[in-house]
Amino acid sequence: MDNRPVMIDLQNVKKKYVIRHNFEKPTTFSGKLKLLAKRIAHPTKKHETEDFYALNGVTFQVRKGEKVGIIGKNGAGKSTLLKVLSRITEPSDGRIEMLGKLSAMLEVGTGFNGELTGRENIYLNGAILGMTKEEIDSKLDAIIEFSEVGRFIDTPVKRYSSGMFVRLAFAVASNLDPDILIVDEVLAVGDTKFQRKCIDKMMNIADSGKTILYVSHQMQTIQQLCDRVIVLKEGKVVYDGDVEKGIEIYTETVDVDATSFDLTDHKPRGSQMAVIEKVDIIDKKTCSWFYNEPIRFKIKIKAKEKCDKVKLYFIIRDLNVNNVFGKSESAEINFSQAGKTYEIECSVGTTNLLAPGKYIAGLELWRDDEGIVTIHDIVPEVFSFEILGEDTENHTVPPLAWDTKIFGHMMADETQCNIINIE
Amino acid sequence: MQKTIIEPNGHNMQYWKDIWRYRELAFNFAKRDVTVRYKQTIIGFGWAVISPIINMLLMTFIFGSVAGLSSEGDTPYYIMVYAGLIPWALLSKSLQSGAGTFISNAGIMNKVYFPRILSPLGSMLAFLIDTSISFAVLFVLMIIFHFTEGFVPSIRMLLCPLVLLWVATLGLFAGLFLSAFNVKWRDLNQMLPFIISIGQYVSPVAYSVSENFGDKWWLPLYCLNPAVGVLETFKWCVIDSMEFNSFAFFASLGWTILFIPLGIKCFRKTERTFVDIV
Repeated sequence: MDNRPVMIDLQNVKKKYVIRHNFEKPTTFSGKLKLLAKRIAHPTKKHETEDFYALNGVTFQVRKGEKVGIIGKNGAGKSTLLKVLSRITEPSDGRIEMLGKLSAMLEVGTGFNGELTGRENIYLNGAILGMTKEEIDSKLDAIIEFSEVGRFIDTPVKRYSSGMFVRLAFAVASNLDPDILIVDEVLAVGDTKFQRKCIDKMMNIADSGKTILYVSHQMQTIQQLCDRVIVLKEGKVVYDGDVEKGIEIYTETVDVDATSFDLTDHKPRGSQMAVIEKVDIIDKKTCSWFYNEPIRFKIKIKAKEKCDKVKLYFIIRDLNVNNVFGKSESAEINFSQAGKTYEIECSVGTTNLLAPGKYIAGLELWRDDEGIVTIHDIVPEVFSFEILGEDTENHTVPPLAWDTKIFGHMMADETQCNIINIE
Repeated sequence: MQKTIIEPNGHNMQYWKDIWRYRELAFNFAKRDVTVRYKQTIIGFGWAVISPIINMLLMTFIFGSVAGLSSEGDTPYYIMVYAGLIPWALLSKSLQSGAGTFISNAGIMNKVYFPRILSPLGSMLAFLIDTSISFAVLFVLMIIFHFTEGFVPSIRMLLCPLVLLWVATLGLFAGLFLSAFNVKWRDLNQMLPFIISIGQYVSPVAYSVSENFGDKWWLPLYCLNPAVGVLETFKWCVIDSMEFNSFAFFASLGWTILFIPLGIKCFRKTERTFVDIV
């Protein structure tokens, strides 16, 4: 019997969002009449609304010292759960009891102000995260040392490199001394060396007997850090227990049913001169392809400004979000008209390099001018897909193409891209 | 260890304890606002002096010279206008920052919990710091006018800090009352600057009430404007010859007593879930 005190106790927690739809445009006469009747009955109502439960009855307990990883695919309710736990927004139903001081790291550098110096920001950010001045005073040296910003500590942070900024921000947040720590994938920042340092720091915090809730897509870190895993799917807990088993179940929950992906709301990265807006899979009911079958899709890219020499990169990652191999790049695309949306048909031939299984596809838009690159847009996870075993009707496995001139190089087919429509 | 209970619409006493626990944050916000406001400017804090003086010159010209309105008795017009501008600037800034608090701080509030009310309180503190600088300028003006026109300030000036605190409170809580609407309908954000610039004319910022409208039948109606009472009271503290406008004083006080609970209630109600809308 586990007699450690219960630190977090969630009982049937729900979070409801109301989403709005525009009225569907009726095509039949009776449909039009019905809409007219609706309009007369509710003259101010412009939309139809639908309730959506981001969390739909979540119940679990976390005891002192447990390190719980929360996994689930995008939209499973992970972020909502963290927001409710960290009291950023209230649940719509249910009850949560928590013991002790809670700190949430949902983002590094919240409240950092570019005009203020590194030192001033440490105090401001520390206070926002709930530290008192004395606490910050006593940890100031440790924070500065950990951040490695050294003599730039009295420079306004707007002059920092992005790496320095992130290091300083993480240094403040990780020096919090809470009883419960909630972390949302903030470790995926900085260079590899710093990431390593962050993970070590997290391990230290974990070893000191704190209770940790950690959300991540990186199964490796979950394996390193956590001793228990909760898998969320559609706002519900579908698994709660052993780490290995949890990861296995998560991998199974990755579904490949959708074939149309609206990306208009994705987190902006890069210059945003050209933005990926929508991806539609061509001629498939699920995102599954046979080995050696080209992945074909249509992509809508909005060119906010004129940009030339742009290349589209298709990145294949495994379910641990590790790259399987380098990016497949397309030929140069020129977006010669600003403000237009380009519809491009793409075909990626690299499935002949993939073993059967599930993968995640990402897309990136870069300008590449003889090695000088500018990133326009990055969508790390566009869709999950499955490579099915060999085509049963065609038993011969096609050979891989090797570049025999430089031994050891494999030739992957270029991603074929053709502009089919501009509007 | 403290126990936190999260429930929908929970009336947790936790909130008020948290405000106490996080109290330093309000000062940190104030410090940030003041530091950032004058960063990368050549004259820095000088702007807190220059902008009210320019306003004073402008308003004296418009109301005193062009419109030909009268000052309080024989008080120099400049002093009277300046004494009106100090509380007016504080009132309008507090109102605007209170009303816009959820929107301008959405970035932080979306990512970290703290008692939200500390954010507008911090801004209010920052405005009070600005105000104390422009208040110091008033002293300089008084000394100048003492020697040139024989102006004698009132002993009631000792009450000024109290009145300014009242002004900021009224502005802030009226703003918080509006903040709830601002989250859902941003129209208010657009309207507020107009309301404030109209307010500058319909409130006694740059003219005397008793001298100009003393005999008008609509005077009581005019004094129902929440700004009139605070402005009149502040001017009364500065100008010795002025009479105390008790009707306007109680009207403003009434509004303040109304806006404090109303503001807190609306703010509390909005802060629970506003991140879902913003």
